[in-house]
Amino acid sequence: MKSNKKEVLLEIHDLQIQGYSDEQWVDIIKGVDLTLHRGEVMGLIGESGAGKSTIGAAAMGYARDGTRISGGSIEFDGMELSTATEAEKRSLRGARIAYVAQSAAASFNPAHKIIDQHTEAPLHYRLQKRTEAQEDAMVLYEKLRLPNPDEIGFRYPHQVSGGQLQRAMTAMAMSCRPDLIIFDEPTTALDVTTQIEVLAAIRDIVDEYNTAAIYITHDLAVVAQMADTIKVLLKGNEVEEAPTEQMLKSPKEDYTKSLWAVRSFKREQKARPKDSVPLISVKNIDASYTGGEKVLDDVSFDVYEGMTVAVVGESGSGKSTTARCITGLLPPSKGEIQFKGEALPPDYRNRSKDQLRQAQMIYQMADTALNPKVKIHEIIGRPAQFYQGLHGGDLKSRVDELLDLIELEPAQYYNRYPPELSGGQKQRIGIARALAANPTFIICDEVTSALDQLVAEGILKLLDRLQRELNLAYMFITHDLATVRAIADEVVVMQYGKVVEQGPKEDMFTPPHHPYTDLLLSSVPEMDPNWLTTLLEERGVDNVGDAASTKIDPNDEKVQS
Amino acid sequence: MSFTVFVFGYYTVLLVASCIAAYFNKRAVFMLLFSLTLVSFILGIVGGVGALQTVAALAGLLALAGMISYGFREFLVYLAEGDVGAPLRGNNTLFLSVVGLFTVLAFASSAYGWGLTEIFVFLAVAMIILLPLSPDTAKELRTAPMTAAFGLFVIFTYLVMGVFASYIAPHGEAEVISSAFAPRGEDMLLGADQLGRDMFSRIIYGARNSVGLALVATVAAFILGASAGLLAATKGGWLDQLLGRIADVIMSIPSLIFALLMLSIFGPDISVIIVAVAIIYAPRVFRLTRSVAGNVVVMDYIEAAKLRGEGNWYLIRREILPNSTAPLIAEFGLEFCFVFLLVAGLSFLGLGIQPPTADWGSMVRENATLISFGDITPLIPAAAIALLTVSVNFVVDWMLHRSSGLKE
Amino acid sequence: MGDILGLIGRRLGLGLIILLVISVIIFFMVELLPGDIAQAVLGQGATEENLRALRKEMGLDQPAIVRYLEWLGGAVTLDFGNSIVTDERVTTLIGDRFMNTLFLASYAAVIAVPFAIILGVIVALLRNSIFDRVANVMTLTSISSPEFFLGYILILYFAVKWSMFPAISSLSEGMSFWALLERTFLPALTLVLVVTAHMMRMTRAAIINLLASPYIEMARLKGTPPWKVIVRHALPNAWAPIINVVALNLAYLITGVVLVEVVFVYPGIGQALVDAVSKRDFPVVQASCLIFAATFILLNLAADVGAILTNPRLRHPK
Repeated sequence: MKSNKKEVLLEIHDLQIQGYSDEQWVDIIKGVDLTLHRGEVMGLIGESGAGKSTIGAAAMGYARDGTRISGGSIEFDGMELSTATEAEKRSLRGARIAYVAQSAAASFNPAHKIIDQHTEAPLHYRLQKRTEAQEDAMVLYEKLRLPNPDEIGFRYPHQVSGGQLQRAMTAMAMSCRPDLIIFDEPTTALDVTTQIEVLAAIRDIVDEYNTAAIYITHDLAVVAQMADTIKVLLKGNEVEEAPTEQMLKSPKEDYTKSLWAVRSFKREQKARPKDSVPLISVKNIDASYTGGEKVLDDVSFDVYEGMTVAVVGESGSGKSTTARCITGLLPPSKGEIQFKGEALPPDYRNRSKDQLRQAQMIYQMADTALNPKVKIHEIIGRPAQFYQGLHGGDLKSRVDELLDLIELEPAQYYNRYPPELSGGQKQRIGIARALAANPTFIICDEVTSALDQLVAEGILKLLDRLQRELNLAYMFITHDLATVRAIADEVVVMQYGKVVEQGPKEDMFTPPHHPYTDLLLSSVPEMDPNWLTTLLEERGVDNVGDAASTKIDPNDEKVQS
Repeated sequence: MSFTVFVFGYYTVLLVASCIAAYFNKRAVFMLLFSLTLVSFILGIVGGVGALQTVAALAGLLALAGMISYGFREFLVYLAEGDVGAPLRGNNTLFLSVVGLFTVLAFASSAYGWGLTEIFVFLAVAMIILLPLSPDTAKELRTAPMTAAFGLFVIFTYLVMGVFASYIAPHGEAEVISSAFAPRGEDMLLGADQLGRDMFSRIIYGARNSVGLALVATVAAFILGASAGLLAATKGGWLDQLLGRIADVIMSIPSLIFALLMLSIFGPDISVIIVAVAIIYAPRVFRLTRSVAGNVVVMDYIEAAKLRGEGNWYLIRREILPNSTAPLIAEFGLEFCFVFLLVAGLSFLGLGIQPPTADWGSMVRENATLISFGDITPLIPAAAIALLTVSVNFVVDWMLHRSSGLKE
Repeated sequence: MGDILGLIGRRLGLGLIILLVISVIIFFMVELLPGDIAQAVLGQGATEENLRALRKEMGLDQPAIVRYLEWLGGAVTLDFGNSIVTDERVTTLIGDRFMNTLFLASYAAVIAVPFAIILGVIVALLRNSIFDRVANVMTLTSISSPEFFLGYILILYFAVKWSMFPAISSLSEGMSFWALLERTFLPALTLVLVVTAHMMRMTRAAIINLLASPYIEMARLKGTPPWKVIVRHALPNAWAPIINVVALNLAYLITGVVLVEVVFVYPGIGQALVDAVSKRDFPVVQASCLIFAATFILLNLAADVGAILTNPRLRHPK
């Protein structure tokens, strides 16, 4: 992580960008300065709506459809981009400034082979002949540790996995050995174990060619691994900028401190109540979608009254399918779900009103979980009306009580529609709807993963308070181990539709682990800037990510890591 | 002499207007005006003063249409800002009973001959029109393009024309008042048709008959298609599959051909036309409803409602419909255009509404011979058809653009 | 490749089944007739004896399913029986006319397809400019006008006022190809106007949809010049939507042709169908309907097969 502080490569001064919405231009970037030196990696972090991605595009002199650069200067290596002609700017793109997008699958053209898209820029700028460019591509693929580097480029994008495609896109950005690469959330869409490989590959290649980079992300731990300096943004304004070490140790601004403080929430671990029947018991269930392969294979676990069980796993591990089996949306092909020791009908349509009432669900995306055309009081009031038959004044006071419970002022929200609320407020309404049924068990499906960290923290605290007050049991589906650490009593780890390991939280976070749990735990980025380096030294580059996880079988023995 | 004055005036107006546009930096307007000037040079050389006069007349017509549209839009915005629909919107039962009352009165009036049928029909329709006028609509209306405003104005005019046809038309629908193809005069604005009936009166009545038939047929197709679509989306499974296959089959027969087949068998009768159109267009409505509702059905709030134990009727009424109205209304407009053109085509072929009822499509055919004498009379009912379809399309285009939310 | 052949095979099979179902509909709908065909032909005043004789002659005494199979067997060999009205063979009655209709439709298609696609792409690239808005209003107007409206306007100006082309497209034996083109120019132009508008709008929508894809932005951010973005990145993915647009509009031509043929008194199958409908000549109606439907299905089939063949995901399976 040496940074060559001599030569300035990119100098942005008082940048202002406007976006077009509701028939008028609104400021989205309100005067941001940025100085990047040759070979330096700058992390841009901020919550959604901070304008990080817009600044990234502006560094290439590019304004997306519906935005315009309305003021300030962007000087790249002596050239002023805000006044340059389209042709001048174009001659920089791909050659001297390259871009790596968030979704590799959508950003590769499905009609051409990966390597043909890779060689497009070098051929266009006449830097290399076709065969040279192809050989160079293979060298880059090799450096980025893609499997079969000689062959993988000749596939079409849809034939390659997401993590590999993301690395192929980084290789493509490198094809002309640019001075600057903009990484726009390159690992956000990836699983944690896959993310590690991509992070390591990106860091190594940027280091090797001494390329400057702007790394855009919302994940502090990730940026800590990648950047030399970090700039924090909030709603189109700069909050502060400092070298990574300093930023992590002693942030100056309150906002930054609050971002850092997020992960401090912890809760006492509860033990199972003695000699009692589990509230929900999942007994040896198998499940598959119509005609498909088995997605769940012999899954069993118990949830006791008033406790939180976190179900952890990556995409495709079957954790959401398990939830669908419990709620009865997907009847299991084998095994059964018991409620207080009694078997529930497998299909929700055959369950009684009271059985349905007992188990409620809170969803990941509050946007799709609340009907945008229904007023808040009706969303919350409907379950109370449906299950308890409340009407008129009783119903209104129940809705007020529920809004109080989720810490929203009743008078202010009673008559509003979901689209008028912020993400966190919507999620609270979702919680209130679940509570309105007076349940004993709530499934929380990735409830915090779509939220900014501060807001997510508030939701976790609320859920914890509600659990204590109402003695609720939670099944917490998540891929985020920090959340598990904060809120869980027991943990169930799933991989390929099987339960790999389960037990009380403390046991799960101390060795010995199942190899998969071990991989998962070690893959979660930490706030220590040397974490990635240390991890790669400990495990070796071939023992992280997809390469490692495919070697693991759910039935493996536990290992002492 | 006066021609010279006209030509000078023509170019002066164009050039002055372009200069003003250029001075105020209105690029689009300037480009339009100046290119018109250049085109006029060529037209003037080729077509002489006559061509320039046509251009001027067209421009004047366009300006007139623009002014009317602007005025009508401001009128609607003003009404919407006043929130005239508010008392109706708050209370569903009140609204339905008021509309219902007027409808019943209209039927009663026509049955007992009170002579107030038109008034009651108009009141019922007016209630429905007022319903969506709210401050939110005012915001939308203010950004509506001129074309949409023009469309709204034309639709409104046709509505008044159709409802009050018997008051507006100077002569009866089938009243023979002169010799065949009599020229226009004081008494007959557009002359007489092949049997000596007043063309103008028949066009006014045609608004009621042609548009009314198309409207009823569209509503029938819509009810059939939309309910099947909603049912397929909520129930899913084999019902969805079955309805989808049926729609596929019906849609693989060209619509006009299918209509001709049915008319040849059951004879050209209004009820046959309505049933045929309903069967032909229902699959299109079905497909759209199915896909719109299909997008809603996968939402988590539907899952939440299902898991709560809600029935299908509740799901459709409270959860799916409120989220599908915008595209469904636009689709209604679009379907109306297709149906209207199809019905007009059938009438033109002599298989639609049967004489002596006035109908635009058949009026074109009956008077078609006049074309060979350079008389534009048969084009007028055809233009009436085109004008309404264009207007509906303008409005639909605006609605689709708005609901897609694209800032492209 | 096996995957693709399977898909195409399945699609062809589906097309065949739909065609079969349609033949059933066309045949049995006539059975729904109040009374039967013999009654319809002879009218209300027919005596019981005459009716019986005619029924026997037409084979109506056999069960419907047998008659359907015979009719279908005939249809496969292009034998649709005899006309009720003129007693001529239906095939001779509509065979030439079908060729005439195909000629008119192809005439219009040859002009309209390239014209519309090029204009559609241009309008998509110039989207939101004044040119785009004017084109939008013009295409909407053209789509909204009934074919007979456009047809009569063209007749009024090109035939009556300026005497450039004939108003009536009667064909005669041994006409030269150029004379033929001139004779049929106005009906073809009418079709071109309507179809071009439709096709332009669809092409525009398809291209704009495509230009919003992230890979197009990626290509721009790689410094690819605009023409290359279109040719190399947009076009290879645009084939499927464009093929679809073309097929849909060719199918539209097939039906639009009926009205245009009537306006210009063109001896095509559409006119024959309309005549037969008003004379209730069921064998002719059934035959023409089946031919129209078959053409329609064939075109849709071609579009789907084209879309399958040009889809890179299907062409290069995992």
